[in-house]
Amino acid sequence: MVCIRQATVEDLMEMQACNLFCLPENYQMKYYLYHILSWPQLLFVAEDYGGSIVGYVLAKMEEESSEPCHGHITSLAVLRTHRKLGLATKLMTAAQAAMESVFGAEYVSLHVRRSNRAAFNLYTSTLGYKIHDVEAKYYADGEDAYDMRKQLKGRQHHHHGHGHHHHHHHHGGGCCSGDSKAVVDPGNAGAGASTSGE
Amino acid sequence: MGSSLPPKEGNLFKVIVKSYETKQYKKGLKAADAILKKFPDHGETLSMKGLTLNCMDRKSEAYELVRRGLKNDLKSHVCWHVYGLLYRSDRDYKEAIKCYRNALKIDPDNIEILRDLSLLQAQMRYLTGFVETRQQLLTLKPNHRTNWIGFAVAHHLNSNCSKAVEILEAYEGTLEDDYPPDNERYEHGEMLLYKISLLEECGLLDRALEEMQKKEIKIVDKLAFKEQMVSILVKLGHLKEGEKIYRSLLFMNSDNYKYFLGLQKCLGLYSEKGQYTADEIVHLDALYKSLREEYTWSSAVKRIPLDFLEGEMFQKAADSYVRPLLSKGVPSLFSDLSPLYNQPEKADILEKLFLHLENSVRTTGSFPARTEKEPPSTLMWTLFLLAQHYDRRGQHDIALSKIDEAIEHTPTVIDLYSAKARILEHAGDLTAAAACADEARSMDLADRYLNSECVMRMLQADQVGLAEKTAVLFTKDGEQHNNLHDMQCMWYELASGESYSRQGDLGRALKKFLAVEKHYSDMTEDQFDFHSYCLRKMTLRAYVSMLKFQDKLHSHAYFEKAAAGAIRCYMKLHDSPLKSGAEEENEMSKLDPLQKRKLRQKQRKAEARAKKEAEEKNGEAATGVSKSGKRQNARPVDLDPYGEKLLQVEDPLLEATKYLNLLQNNSSKSLETHVLSFELHMRKQKILLAFQAVKQLLKLDKNYPDSHRCLIRFFHKITNSAAPVTNSEKLIWRVLDAERPDISQLNGKSLVEANNSFLEDNKDSLMHRAAAAEMLYVLEPEKKAEAIKIIEESTNNFAQRNGALGPVREWKLVDCIAVHKLLETALIDCDAASRWKVRCAEYFPYSTHFEGRYSSATTCSSSCNTKNPPENGGVNFQQPESGVAHSLNGNLRALQELKI
Repeated sequence: MVCIRQATVEDLMEMQACNLFCLPENYQMKYYLYHILSWPQLLFVAEDYGGSIVGYVLAKMEEESSEPCHGHITSLAVLRTHRKLGLATKLMTAAQAAMESVFGAEYVSLHVRRSNRAAFNLYTSTLGYKIHDVEAKYYADGEDAYDMRKQLKGRQHHHHGHGHHHHHHHHGGGCCSGDSKAVVDPGNAGAGASTSGE
Repeated sequence: MGSSLPPKEGNLFKVIVKSYETKQYKKGLKAADAILKKFPDHGETLSMKGLTLNCMDRKSEAYELVRRGLKNDLKSHVCWHVYGLLYRSDRDYKEAIKCYRNALKIDPDNIEILRDLSLLQAQMRYLTGFVETRQQLLTLKPNHRTNWIGFAVAHHLNSNCSKAVEILEAYEGTLEDDYPPDNERYEHGEMLLYKISLLEECGLLDRALEEMQKKEIKIVDKLAFKEQMVSILVKLGHLKEGEKIYRSLLFMNSDNYKYFLGLQKCLGLYSEKGQYTADEIVHLDALYKSLREEYTWSSAVKRIPLDFLEGEMFQKAADSYVRPLLSKGVPSLFSDLSPLYNQPEKADILEKLFLHLENSVRTTGSFPARTEKEPPSTLMWTLFLLAQHYDRRGQHDIALSKIDEAIEHTPTVIDLYSAKARILEHAGDLTAAAACADEARSMDLADRYLNSECVMRMLQADQVGLAEKTAVLFTKDGEQHNNLHDMQCMWYELASGESYSRQGDLGRALKKFLAVEKHYSDMTEDQFDFHSYCLRKMTLRAYVSMLKFQDKLHSHAYFEKAAAGAIRCYMKLHDSPLKSGAEEENEMSKLDPLQKRKLRQKQRKAEARAKKEAEEKNGEAATGVSKSGKRQNARPVDLDPYGEKLLQVEDPLLEATKYLNLLQNNSSKSLETHVLSFELHMRKQKILLAFQAVKQLLKLDKNYPDSHRCLIRFFHKITNSAAPVTNSEKLIWRVLDAERPDISQLNGKSLVEANNSFLEDNKDSLMHRAAAAEMLYVLEPEKKAEAIKIIEESTNNFAQRNGALGPVREWKLVDCIAVHKLLETALIDCDAASRWKVRCAEYFPYSTHFEGRYSSATTCSSSCNTKNPPENGGVNFQQPESGVAHSLNGNLRALQELKI
């Protein structure tokens, strides 16, 4: 019914429109560009049969070397009209797999509103996230956020092996490699007003 | 830098530069003033002080200082560089490039300036220059990875793929065998994938394949690896291997349609148009049956067969497809099936199927030929599906009765109300649709989707004020407008612009349209920082696709609509300019003295209040702190909230031309672009450009009613204008004389004859008849009655094919409304217009425009909650749309708003 695939730059406008239509935390286009130009593997969309974007996940890698290498879900949305299809689960699973296999993420984190029971249930019961912390007044309207995490390492991966020796310990390039390249973050300039969901 | 200064001041100069880089502008300013105290004419210090002030929002001082600095030290590359940076900050890239070039004349090997220049060249797509600059950078610093990559990308952008590959391979040659170290594996893998995509792009498929096999281990992104691999294999005709990869991709993600289609291609079972022989269908059916066993969780594998199956097989497949989804209650079921409605025979089968299921569930509680009972909700979801089905077929009355039954069945399901609002919109009752969407919204106030949908419906019903108040519920600081604008919420701005435009409020309409346009220019600007960022990050495939995306950014639908909206506003403004002060006085004199005094008082109060607010807010913005103590973004207050200043442009047509150029460059395939071009150039008396537009229209679609209108109106105008006098006029006439025989419509025919044959060729189409009627009146005004007869004698036939529950007529509501407006404003016949209205009210009983008997225009009581009366809509739809009458009242309207 709905196609799950990696997002392309051409999808960003529709992703932004989808976000604005159904979520209270919004971002300028530059922030979407920053994501796709930093971690093109971590953005996925759900596209309906008519070709419109009805859901997306926007994710990133945290690149401070003070913490272990991990991914972060910046934003996840599925249009109300396309509920009950398991799209959120499929999108999240795809992004998590890419974090692990391409960037070697050990865990993935996200924030969720305390009052958002539906999302909370999805993260805990379906996707296996656990509450790591509570961030008081995280959202602009004063609501608290759960800081949730899900462990990725240790999970069986490369399950569709094609033969012999794999370089398991090798995956992982960009982040968590302790490299101290000063990477300026162009996304931040544009996203200043919009990082509340971040 | 700062070399001509004594040591103490030299150090201070370094402080200025450092402070600029770390954004400590006050500190930098202090250091600059300290130097200038001793050396008031020191050019580079003056320049740097200017640059610092520029960052503190003191533009005019900045330009003055930077220019003075340059004048005092023309030989300084710093002064030129700073001048360039200043222009760059104002997005004047052409001037900035000139400044950098001057700086480089003085210091040709300055890496920093070369790098800045290369960014501007990339931004402006000055590709030849870009290649040169990148080459210089590589020559100067060959030990920097980014310089190799930058040079390769430059060649790629400049359409020299193979050169780009050569450079990347030369770069690889500089690396050790055990490269990359662990911490650069991702970047290196991205570089390799980029190189392979270049090999594919220039058709070197064998080399690409070889490279992939050789480098597999070094490519981190395994998904991209496989997708790239399979693309090359298929192009090389290695279908067996391609099939294998597609199957492994499906194993990773069995919800990606492209993988299924790819697999079909590898198996020789793919047709672009989806048309298959009976034999192929059998094979496809077998393929998907086996895939279904393998990928039980895939929903695609169940849905795709509905596209290729036909007749009875289709009926069976559709039956087993919809049943579980109805039991589960999947709201998107109809939208999932709707592409099938392009094949009328499938739509008929679906209708029979849905009715069959409905009947069975209603009477037995089970699906046909089943014994297990369905939950009660199955009937409700089946009614929901049927309602959408009939809506799609244009049978709005049945659609509404189905949805009402569903609501009665389970009044708590919000999706039903959203669907009902959509049906009401299609049936033409925008007011009731908005009320219904508002009811849905009130059932879950925390759901922004319901809020947005409601706001959209309110805007469609021209309830802009109410829409704003509703939207504000979801924006953080209550300053809804700025927030939606800051977040680039274009659908909202576009929809309010269109509503204001319908209501004749040109100022606010323009404001919204231009806001959308601004988002697009901001997005163009957004790419700037990524020119250097992506070279470091090595996300080169994404970077190049971002550049291509940017190149056609302005062909995006929202931009097209906003630009067209703005052009129309400017043309209306040109047709009926704002009243001058004296005329306004005159208008005022008609009011009695008391009214006059009141109005003036209000005006003054409103002005004073706006001014005060603006000052307060600007004060806050400057300090960055609001009264609540929260940090806010420095946001200048809107000094023209009603767009009145926008209406005071000297030459509206000149403004319109700017946007038309963007449309012509980016949407040349759109009919509307050329209609606008025609209208604009006729007003500007640019005969040849108007003729160009006519030719483009005929080329795109010679049978399109507006193409015909423009053709006739153009030559009618030419025929009726005075004989050419000046040389240039004579030249134009000669061009037209030479071109006219090439236009087949006019070949040997008078305009009247051409109009007649257009009518004859399209006599069954309402919109074509309307165009012919309008042109008849243009050509022969005395034949108005005949023109009206052409319209009135159109017949609304029953559509060819239809389902079980009654016939549908052909005419569309929007077309009938357009014809109504045509009778009112172009043919100017009130009697004919009201006859038309009565007739259409029969066809469209829910239409508020025609005051149909079921519409909320007459009944005032829709079944949905109407506790919120329309704020500034609801009345307007009864007035003919004549922007002329409305636009004159721009100022008065603004005052009325202020009363609230």
